[in-house]
Amino acid sequence: MSLADTRSPPPALLPRLRLWTRAASGNLLLTLGLVIVAGLTVGTLAVLLDPPEGAFRGSLIARFREPFGDYLFGTDQLGRSLLDRVAAGMPWSLGIALVATAIAVSVGTVMGLAAAWFPGWPRKVIQQLVDTVIAFPSLVIAVTVIALLGRGFWPLAVVLGLATWPIAARVVYAEALSVIKRDYVLAAKLSGVDGAVILWTHVLPALRPTLLTMFAFTFADMLIAESALSFLGLGVPLTAPSWGNMLSESREYLVNAPHMMLVPAGAIVLAVVALNLIGDGIALRSRKRARDAG
Amino acid sequence: MTGGGSVLGVLAKRAGELAILLFAITTLLFFLLRLGGDPAAVLAGEEADPDQVALISARYGLDQPLWWQYLRYLVSIVTLDFGESLRGGQAALTLVLDRLGSTLLLAFLALAITAALSIPIGAWLGFRPDRGDRRAANALVFILQGIPGYIVGLLLIQLFVVELRWLTSIGNQGVSSWILPSLTLASFLVPKMVRVLAANVAEAMREDYIRTARATGASDVELLFRHALPNALLGATALIGTQFAFLMSGSLITEWIFAWPGFGALLVASVEQLDFPVVQAAVFVIAGLVFLVNAGTDILFRVIDPRVRAGATR
Repeated sequence: MSLADTRSPPPALLPRLRLWTRAASGNLLLTLGLVIVAGLTVGTLAVLLDPPEGAFRGSLIARFREPFGDYLFGTDQLGRSLLDRVAAGMPWSLGIALVATAIAVSVGTVMGLAAAWFPGWPRKVIQQLVDTVIAFPSLVIAVTVIALLGRGFWPLAVVLGLATWPIAARVVYAEALSVIKRDYVLAAKLSGVDGAVILWTHVLPALRPTLLTMFAFTFADMLIAESALSFLGLGVPLTAPSWGNMLSESREYLVNAPHMMLVPAGAIVLAVVALNLIGDGIALRSRKRARDAG
Repeated sequence: MTGGGSVLGVLAKRAGELAILLFAITTLLFFLLRLGGDPAAVLAGEEADPDQVALISARYGLDQPLWWQYLRYLVSIVTLDFGESLRGGQAALTLVLDRLGSTLLLAFLALAITAALSIPIGAWLGFRPDRGDRRAANALVFILQGIPGYIVGLLLIQLFVVELRWLTSIGNQGVSSWILPSLTLASFLVPKMVRVLAANVAEAMREDYIRTARATGASDVELLFRHALPNALLGATALIGTQFAFLMSGSLITEWIFAWPGFGALLVASVEQLDFPVVQAAVFVIAGLVFLVNAGTDILFRVIDPRVRAGATR
């Protein structure tokens, strides 16, 4: 990596792009994950701008079509295109998982930083809260609260996020505690810099690889949790074509139309594996960097 | 985040956590139920007429002031009186406890399968992690980790029930009907346990005592079984406590897929039917179970690990 740098100075045009491609070539699997997630993102935006009609309207003469015929992924019990349905499900499944992840990671980060920064009772209270919630089955919490709040995009996203933040808090706390002990943080403290400023400008940047990794893994977990709840009939509204709902519907037709199960299952597995690849890739890269630096 | 402390201290800490958790959950349930509108209407069900709603309102004391309701509610919870199921009329707690055995059977089978699969595979992967075949196997485990348990369940049904017609997939009809649900539930844990064990074994293999043992002429088998694996297993035991919560989440889905007569399926059905007394009783029983398992592994860990034992008595 260093030899190439000295021989040819980076061109002024698109230096960032070069950085990206070089970083990516070092890690094929990370790149693969990023490409898949980029594809899913573009697909989700496209579906939001132009909802595919075949997802909701089918023709009864085209029921249970096998894949790779007139319809790429076949059709369901109402003759609706499964390609269209799985696409129309992206804003639901990926959107809920994204919001839930954002809630879990941001609440977890704030709580983790607070526990690391304030020794004494704030730390004790937060630790106790984290220990307690982590020990309880999150799906049971989610199912119970959904029973009271009702199905829908926002209840689901909020409940999943709030059931998951303690895991993020625990990771952030452990990392932040070691960062806070470093000399530059101590120096900032001694020179009278405000605590919030130190956390924002000195501690948080040091946690970036951890946060990115955590975001990817949590996203994958939330995607699984969302589809699990929808699969149980307790997630998104029953008419929404989310991936979990599609799986749930497919159960009745396993004998005649197994592709109805395989299409949404494939979508879930593809997205989860891609996110796991990203999480693993980032973790590996930051470990390599730490080794090179130390 | 477990520190030192005696066995009694651990139990007290865990019991305190349980009390806080149950208090939080019941309070949440109490207020969420009243937030959504008239709880009597919710309790009576969608098809109930106004007379029935009024009857329920009077019976549950819902016409009383809020603080009085909350107080009465707390008292009834503390005395383990969850009321009767709104559907069948049986005592909610009995309904849940009747299904405890089925859920525990499934959980036990799943844990046994998890141990039988993940210990040998993890040891094999971690012993020589840099070999080509291990790298390929690692990649496979990585992909398997991305397949959610309920999809594994559906695939198993597709293969063994629909295509091969070897097994049944509905309820508990004897030993052959245990296979698919317990495999499904195990699939929630196996990939993770394999990865943890492989990492633990690989880490143990880099330790100084392994190098010493190797220098004194210990064979590969001895290195693995006498030195590396016991350490790796100890680390995995500590995980069982946290993973048990995950297992309970998994049994909710697994029992529902296979119509297994445990309390996970009961909880899902009760939520769908808005049968709140049963929901509450189920949540309480699950919380109690999680508490017992966590406290149990905590204590077990103290008994079997000499380092923690020494730390506890100091």
